[in-house]
Amino acid sequence: MALEALKDVVRKIKSSSSIDKYLVEEIVRDIQRALLRADVNVRHVKQISDAIKKRALSEDVLPTFNVREHIIKIVYEELMRGIGEGLDIPLKKAKIMLVGLQGSGKTTTTAKMAKYFKDKGLKAGVITADTWRPAAYDQLKQLAEAYDIGFYGDKNEKDAVKIVRDGLEKMKDYDIIIIDTAGRHALEEGLINEMIEISRVANPDYKLLVLDAAIGQLASTQAKRFHDAIGIDGIVITKFDGTAKGGGALSAAREIGIPIAFLGTGEKVEDFEKFDPAGFVSRLLGM
Amino acid sequence: IIDEGKLEGILSELEMILLESDVAFDVVDEITQKLKDSLVGRRKKIGQKLSDIVIDELKSILKDILDRNRFDFDEFVRNVDKPANILFVGVNGTGKTTTIAKIAKRLTSQGYSVVVAAGDTFRAGAIEQLEEHAKNLGVKIIKHKTGADPAAVIFDAIKHAEAKGIDIVLSDTAGRMHTKKNLIDQLGKIKRVTKPALTIFVDESLAGNDAIERARMFNDAVGIDGSILTKLDADPKGGTAISISYITGKPVLFVGTGQSYDDLEKFSSEWLIGRIFD
Ligand SMILES: Nc1nc2c(ncn2[C@@H]2O[C@H](COP(=O)(O)OP(=O)(O)OP(=O)(O)O)[C@@H](O)[C@H]2O)c(=O)[nH]1
Ligand SMILES: Nc1nc2c(ncn2[C@@H]2O[C@H](COP(=O)(O)OP(=O)(O)OP(=O)(O)O)[C@@H](O)[C@H]2O)c(=O)[nH]1
Ligand SMILES: [K+]
Ligand SMILES: [Mg+2]
Ligand SMILES: [Mg+2]
Repeated sequence: MALEALKDVVRKIKSSSSIDKYLVEEIVRDIQRALLRADVNVRHVKQISDAIKKRALSEDVLPTFNVREHIIKIVYEELMRGIGEGLDIPLKKAKIMLVGLQGSGKTTTTAKMAKYFKDKGLKAGVITADTWRPAAYDQLKQLAEAYDIGFYGDKNEKDAVKIVRDGLEKMKDYDIIIIDTAGRHALEEGLINEMIEISRVANPDYKLLVLDAAIGQLASTQAKRFHDAIGIDGIVITKFDGTAKGGGALSAAREIGIPIAFLGTGEKVEDFEKFDPAGFVSRLLGM
Repeated sequence: IIDEGKLEGILSELEMILLESDVAFDVVDEITQKLKDSLVGRRKKIGQKLSDIVIDELKSILKDILDRNRFDFDEFVRNVDKPANILFVGVNGTGKTTTIAKIAKRLTSQGYSVVVAAGDTFRAGAIEQLEEHAKNLGVKIIKHKTGADPAAVIFDAIKHAEAKGIDIVLSDTAGRMHTKKNLIDQLGKIKRVTKPALTIFVDESLAGNDAIERARMFNDAVGIDGSILTKLDADPKGGTAISISYITGKPVLFVGTGQSYDDLEKFSSEWLIGRIFD
């Protein structure tokens, strides 16, 4: 559906050689519809479309650009405003902690990320600090064993903070350590405090918020509260292999002004990619 | 007489409320059209506020959507031929396995006997997860090894229930994307082999527009009788319930409101509409 809408936008731009108010308004209306369908926060959609409208009419078309390129450039810049082009995690010693809502894909992403760095030649290990979800330990252990990734966990320990402290001690010689945490949402005060405590003890180099590509309007408020609690450095969008467009995750990134780092594109540990902003925007708009 | 011009302002405000509540864009569009169709040309009584008329009409449209094909789950369980197989399906991570545990708790505390079938033979730790729930709840689990045929696992659970006089089989399945044809076909096979009395689609209330894509495809390809909407405790407004009911024509039966076994509540359309507008 969104696909059809954007094809029309592009067609409208293609067939016109000059910019007038009427054309811009029509294009902006179509973009608004595409963004709302893609789960971009309603408030952000208004900010983005107001900015596009203003710039499309007031800024000169660059000499090497046609009208279509002029507008697409503005649309792209406004969508990515404040979140950068991605997050580069250099290939050296680092601790990475994954946090997020229940079922967003943290445990799977923990394994994916460890394999990603292992394939680049680093010694990668994972720690399971989820003492809440039944069999969270088994889930990560099975994934780690299948891919020959270092693993630390303690099935009988209920204190996640202690597990992380012990795990980091045991894995001192690892280059990359990824910490999997329990699912939680912003209103679960006890769990939020646990996350703050884990973060304090682990002192991770990167704290990544894992978000389902399908998350709707709640994404930005939830992200804001996670950010206020521990300071988020980047976002991982999961389940990008379905039909969800990831506009909720975009709004989360925009709300707290941080980049999107990676995409999960399937259930298998191999299904993991670095974030590509151009591809993301095209898909968001249905182009 | 109400004309379209007078309606515009109120309608766009209501559209915003629905969108902010996570009702899918296309569903909002169609609801607005319905509202217009039923209101334009209608005669307004003296002293009636236009906004009240519009909101009342909208609430009644939403109630119709939410209550289509509604049935009472408890009554269904009471009357169904035993053993009855209830199959849980949905995309990845929405809360199927946890919801099965909650339903098992609910049914056993109502005096029914229950067995759970570990039909997710795919995901790492899936069998162990359901096993731990079963242990906590004191219900029997039927499981095979990872990689086994899920239809065979569920079939075995039904045979076990028949032999032991157990009332209800709650069958777990692996989460799967609606776009993966082979995995959706596999659900079709599970249904043919295990003939569930109820097929329940589990989705999370956190989901936005994608809810309509997956609800449509699961309903078309597999056939569902109702839905359960999880994670309402994370504070979404719950418009996803409207999207899913609109697309499938099937009712939301329960909502999940937390991670404990008792965090399962019967769905009520009045409650949801109140949550969105009050
Ligand atoms: N299709 C698809 N499924 C995914 C992806 N990432 C994770 N999943 C699936 O999503 C479900 C939830 O993933 P988990 O890794 O268990 O999520 P989690 O955030 O650790 O869950 P909790 O620990 O319960 O909060 C599982 O079925 C995963 O296989 C992805 O990129 N694509
Ligand atoms: N806050 C909250 N969390 C829930 C609720 N229902 C389920 N969860 C959590 O969501 C996560 C995923 O739940 P699962 O039951 O494993 O989901 P699933 O659909 O079986 O996942 P897959 O089998 O991997 O597709 C777990 O951490 C659950 O505890 C709910 O109503 N509220
Ligand atoms: K999810
Ligand atoms: Mg997990
Ligand atoms: Mg499951």
